[in-house]
Amino acid sequence: MAEQFILGIDLGTTNSLSAYMTDAGPVVVRDAGAAALVPSVIAFGEGNRVSVGSEARDHAVENPLSTVYSVKRLMGKGLADVREDMEFLPYPIVEGANDTVRVNVAGALMTPQELSAVILREVKARAEAALGRRIDRAVITVPAYFDDAQRQATRDAGRIAGLEVCRIVNEPTAAALAYGLDLSGRKGDEQGDVATVAVYDFGGGTFDISILRVSGGVFQVLSTDGDTHLGGDDLDRELIDMVTSEVRQRYGQGIEFPPATRQALRLLAEATKVRLSQQEAATIQIDLGDGRSFERVVNREEFEAWASKWVDHTIEHCRAAMKAAGVTPDDIDEVVMVGGSTRIPLVQRRVAEVFGRVPYTAINPEEVVAMGAAVQAGILMGMQRDTLLLDVTPLSLGIETLGGAMGKLIMRNSTVPCQASEAFTTYVDGQTSVDINILQGERELAGDCRSLGKFQLAGIPPMPAGMPRINVTFLIDANGILNVSARELKSGQASSVQITPAHGLTRAEVEQMVKDSYAHAIEDMTAHRLIDLRNEAARILTAIEKALASAGCVLGDEQRKHLDAAVAMLKAKADGDDPDELWAAMEAANDAAGPLTQAQMDEVLRKTAVGRKLDEI
Amino acid sequence: MPENDEKTVPVKCRVCAQPMHTPVVCDYCHAIGDAAELTDYFTMLGVPQRFDLDTDELSRQFVALSRHAHPDFHVSDSPEVQQLSLRVSSTLNDAYRTLKDPATRGAYLLELLGGKSSARDKSVPDGFLDTMMMMQEELADAKTGGDRGELDRLATVLATQHDGLMRRLSGLFAEHQQSLGCEAIRRGLLDEIRKQLNAVSYVRKLQSQLP
Repeated sequence: MAEQFILGIDLGTTNSLSAYMTDAGPVVVRDAGAAALVPSVIAFGEGNRVSVGSEARDHAVENPLSTVYSVKRLMGKGLADVREDMEFLPYPIVEGANDTVRVNVAGALMTPQELSAVILREVKARAEAALGRRIDRAVITVPAYFDDAQRQATRDAGRIAGLEVCRIVNEPTAAALAYGLDLSGRKGDEQGDVATVAVYDFGGGTFDISILRVSGGVFQVLSTDGDTHLGGDDLDRELIDMVTSEVRQRYGQGIEFPPATRQALRLLAEATKVRLSQQEAATIQIDLGDGRSFERVVNREEFEAWASKWVDHTIEHCRAAMKAAGVTPDDIDEVVMVGGSTRIPLVQRRVAEVFGRVPYTAINPEEVVAMGAAVQAGILMGMQRDTLLLDVTPLSLGIETLGGAMGKLIMRNSTVPCQASEAFTTYVDGQTSVDINILQGERELAGDCRSLGKFQLAGIPPMPAGMPRINVTFLIDANGILNVSARELKSGQASSVQITPAHGLTRAEVEQMVKDSYAHAIEDMTAHRLIDLRNEAARILTAIEKALASAGCVLGDEQRKHLDAAVAMLKAKADGDDPDELWAAMEAANDAAGPLTQAQMDEVLRKTAVGRKLDEI
Repeated sequence: MPENDEKTVPVKCRVCAQPMHTPVVCDYCHAIGDAAELTDYFTMLGVPQRFDLDTDELSRQFVALSRHAHPDFHVSDSPEVQQLSLRVSSTLNDAYRTLKDPATRGAYLLELLGGKSSARDKSVPDGFLDTMMMMQEELADAKTGGDRGELDRLATVLATQHDGLMRRLSGLFAEHQQSLGCEAIRRGLLDEIRKQLNAVSYVRKLQSQLP
């Protein structure tokens, strides 16, 4: 089972963390100070120094342009999709190939996948340190409403971080898995162990609602709904907008907010929001420079008025999910809360209102998803044969038909894996390739849906127009990721499918990033190994010096000359930076010191033997 | 739908060569079957091929088979078995989804019995379209007027319509099963089933427009 180990990772907009499965259940990975959450923040400092987590977040105000956060909002997106976010993200975002975005980090353009990989590598390193083992396989969670491009981007980030991503699992589903049998066990009525459960997941940047039926170890998702662009960040923005507009009222419309102030404001807004969940009022205080300052008391009622419209959106999604599942609030036996934003009293009140019951919050809402990822890892490792998870695809999948309509092939909320086939033909004599535009979404027109990219069926044998029949199979796997295969029926040949992803990386790009990241890992390892070897070399040199002082006389002239040369070589290599040469020099010095060590050993043995005899008398 | 005369001959397990009772999973060695995709959905799920189904039994069968076929349980297997698990599991999901809902189950069974598809025959029972058009107008009026009581009444009427159509379908399928003789009578029954199924689609479309 040693190589089988799989880590469960919650890669969040605001915080990330990991957990692993044990016979006693899922366990969250914590550092020495018992902290589990790693803020999803990366700071790029002087001389390529990269820090991740609390340290990075604490320096956000000093280095606003080189501190990257909320990168999950950019995953699988194009520049047009993130325009709104760019206003609030102080770091520079530019356009990349295939309608993707890049973050300009001190002149280097990095993809959201690479940035997420930096966070994943940190989470992985912490788990490795805590568990004392190498980790190369993981289950990573994503919002249930993530589309194909966002899921692929997450999987690619895992690969770049050196992880084989065994499964992408939906966050609300993971939460249900973490609660496990608690969900059906609490009912205690005649019906036995069947429970209908709503998982309300309001995180930092995304919102999901899933309705599940839980029965005897079977977790079946009935429906899911949500918004991948609705989260606690939006509530922070309400507070930021309030402060900026009031500051401008006081000090004039012309007042500028430089990146550092914007970072400070963002952290302040987040802290204020958190405080307002515990207290009735909180004070915002900010130094604007030039002797200007701003101070303002915000009370909970005011905050709730601003937050209300966002919470209303989440409630609309709850109603839609119930309708799609064919259930009414009366059918819901349990409501589970997930995500930091569910700590807000207004959210708890509204959720209790719409489902007609008090939410169940036995597990920390910020740790429950990682724990569920660990449970899924346990299932994949074969530790839990009695648990069966049946999840759904959140969005309908189809193709662009003549006239620009969306022709649906797989309906949303279909249990995954699922597949559909469609036959295509040619329009021109001798045509050897056909382009297909694959879409995801619920709208009628292709232009209103999300394109997964251009899929080109190539290698069709030249035939008169309309003669070839290319059967294309669209398969959505258990990760919610699309796989396309094609076969020309007349010739029986498998046609090749060339994919140019929209909002994503090509396979070649991912491979290159994996290689680059591997090269960096070697560099890092070399540096680390060199330090270890130098320490070891110093220890050897000291030992030889000591031995020469005490037993140097046992060596012959040749042996002495040989040893002196080896010692000189070792000293030189310890000052160099090639770990392999240093290793060789260490071996040589050890060999040369062999007779000396032997003499010392004999001496020790003789003394011990004598000592023993004396004792025995 | 491939014509499958060998359906009655038991399929042998590709691993242990024992006869298989369902084509999805071997009862003896629990290996996934490679003939699962060639059989009809009823055979695949191990339930009788008829319209009136015990849906609880259908669910139990689906879960029991999924516990062996699902990709979650084949992560450490060879790439070939992983691919097989993916294909069989997705076919199984499709089979369950189709048979769970009486409307799709009816359409699927009709196709197996050699009836016409909805694309070929769009006819509905006599007088049905008039009723639907009337209800369509009433629904539009109630929605614009925000008349809660009227909307509730329409919802009840549509539900009653739906139940009636399902009972009629159940009767027609039973009649078809028992009428072993005359081919013309059987043909007539299948055409009538098509009409009732088309009517179900209309009712459901209206139901989906309810707030």
